[in-house]
Amino acid sequence: MFLGIDIGSSSSKAVIINAQLEILGKAVFNTGAGTQGPEKAVGAALREAGISGDEIKFSVVTGYGRMTYDKADKQITEITCHARGAAHMIPSARTVIDIGGQDAKVIRLDKDGKVENFVMNEKCAAGTGRFLEVMARILDCSIGNLSSLSENASEEIIISNTCTVFAESEVISQLSSGAKRENVAQGAHKSVAKRVAGLGSRIGLAPDVVMTGGVALNKGVVAALEKEIGQKITVVENPQIIGAIGAALYALETASKLS
Amino acid sequence: MNRIQEIIAELVETANHPAKAVKASMKETGKKAVGCFPYYTPDEIIYAAGLLPVGLWGGQTDIKLADKYLQSFCCSIMRINVEQGLKGMYDFLSAVIIPAYCDTLKCICDNWHVAVPQTYLIPMVYPQHRKIAAGVAYLIDEYKRVQKELETIAGKKITEKDLEDSIVLYEDYRKTMRQFTAIVSKYSKTLNAKTRHLIIKAAYFMDKRLYTIKIKELMEELKKLPEEKLDGIKVVVTGILAETDALLDAFVQNKIVFVADDLAHESRQFRTSVRSEGTALERLAYRIADHDGCSLLYDEEKKHGQLLIDLVRENHADGVVVCMMKFCNPEEFDYPIYKKELEAAGIPMLYLEIEQKMDSAEQIRTRIQSFAEMVK
Repeated sequence: MFLGIDIGSSSSKAVIINAQLEILGKAVFNTGAGTQGPEKAVGAALREAGISGDEIKFSVVTGYGRMTYDKADKQITEITCHARGAAHMIPSARTVIDIGGQDAKVIRLDKDGKVENFVMNEKCAAGTGRFLEVMARILDCSIGNLSSLSENASEEIIISNTCTVFAESEVISQLSSGAKRENVAQGAHKSVAKRVAGLGSRIGLAPDVVMTGGVALNKGVVAALEKEIGQKITVVENPQIIGAIGAALYALETASKLS
Repeated sequence: MNRIQEIIAELVETANHPAKAVKASMKETGKKAVGCFPYYTPDEIIYAAGLLPVGLWGGQTDIKLADKYLQSFCCSIMRINVEQGLKGMYDFLSAVIIPAYCDTLKCICDNWHVAVPQTYLIPMVYPQHRKIAAGVAYLIDEYKRVQKELETIAGKKITEKDLEDSIVLYEDYRKTMRQFTAIVSKYSKTLNAKTRHLIIKAAYFMDKRLYTIKIKELMEELKKLPEEKLDGIKVVVTGILAETDALLDAFVQNKIVFVADDLAHESRQFRTSVRSEGTALERLAYRIADHDGCSLLYDEEKKHGQLLIDLVRENHADGVVVCMMKFCNPEEFDYPIYKKELEAAGIPMLYLEIEQKMDSAEQIRTRIQSFAEMVK
């Protein structure tokens, strides 16, 4: 059995696969680097797979917390792992958009699914899950309900500030001026979409465009992003665990090379 | 510790403790020191005056006072230089030369008299039309003015022979450094990205004659050893400079070797020689006229991209790492032009936006490692 662990800034994910590339166990915990999240995710994935830790032949850790997690056999970046996971799930993928808790990446793949080029957001929360979390808090709704809230938007609202902190003030000001929560939610999605589309334009977005990471669960962001880039986006099943799947695939590959 | 390790340790110590090293050099040579702001200054004239040219390329100082004079959208090198001036860290220098290559440097020239009055300022303006006769003539006049200022500080007249001797020394230094950067790929473990950088950086804080002797000895000692197998990734690095420690450590950890560089802080200082004809000041002025591929010097033919492509091909590099100094307009304006050319040539590129004070290098580490995984 082979284990992939993806320790993000806001969640920990673990995936266990066998040599036939079947997923035997998977888990997502909404606490990330520097918490018990990684251990809990690994424990839950092992339980789902019905195996003990001793049965793991090789493990690969990826994500923001990869450098400080010392229980894996190897560490690989989330860019490489998301690309591998996405290409495995959707072989026709040529562009992967991964929006996580505190960063956003656009990755170009060649026809063999290998990373050809990539861009990452700068040291700023704009265009990331963190931006949406801040917006959800102001709108007094859970992050999971932000998308459904935006479905009832009736008027387009533009959040002009890129900076998350300034955008927060801007949104508070809009709400106090009578703007509808639904419209603001949609504006937040559009803000993330614009930022990520701009990032993608630096390296070009070749079809098929695939989206991974926790923010891919937000249909409002996906729709806004599709509109922004003018292309259809395929959201992978279980987008949060794609990095961990990629890590598990690398674990299998590395173990095969070693044996 | 063998001789190679001894020399490297000494140079690394010098690079890591500039003020201490400069004061030691002043004591050793009995010379006064003159600070040189980036990017090019007439170091040969300073040296000919019997003074010690010292490079001032920022550092790791926290910025508290500089905000009074420079906005947050000025590059970190200049903000830190002003901060260090305001904190009195340059008080032991007899003067600073500030050339106005960019808008920020122009502002610093204006502010320096008020902000750091205790450190004498010699402002300089290099011609952007540096290749035409009028540009060369103008630069020679600028050099003559600076020469007079330096003569006052040194309390001696600079003769043509002083200048020629200084040029001979600096040409030897430049040739030696070109040889040094060329052998990096043969000793890529000993001269990893961080060590290579610190060895080159030490030159800014030592007497060039003594520094050049050290580098020659280091190369002689290295050549006695069998070549080291280069099993990492070979890159050409471009930009203003490649710092901090965390950035360089990430390159080393990912076995990324700098087989050549196009950094303003490194090879751009020594890749162009003086011409053999003319007076000393003419030869120095033509060196600036002949120096291409630098964003700080106007180049209507835009040769930077081809220069990078040539460096990649000559050194069989796997790609180019762009260390983009945040808020450096000249470099940022240059980037889209050479990016297009590198992409057309199919050369992988890693773009890193850097600052001299980077409290968190996690994202940069991820980018560097991802690039290494990509080109492997």
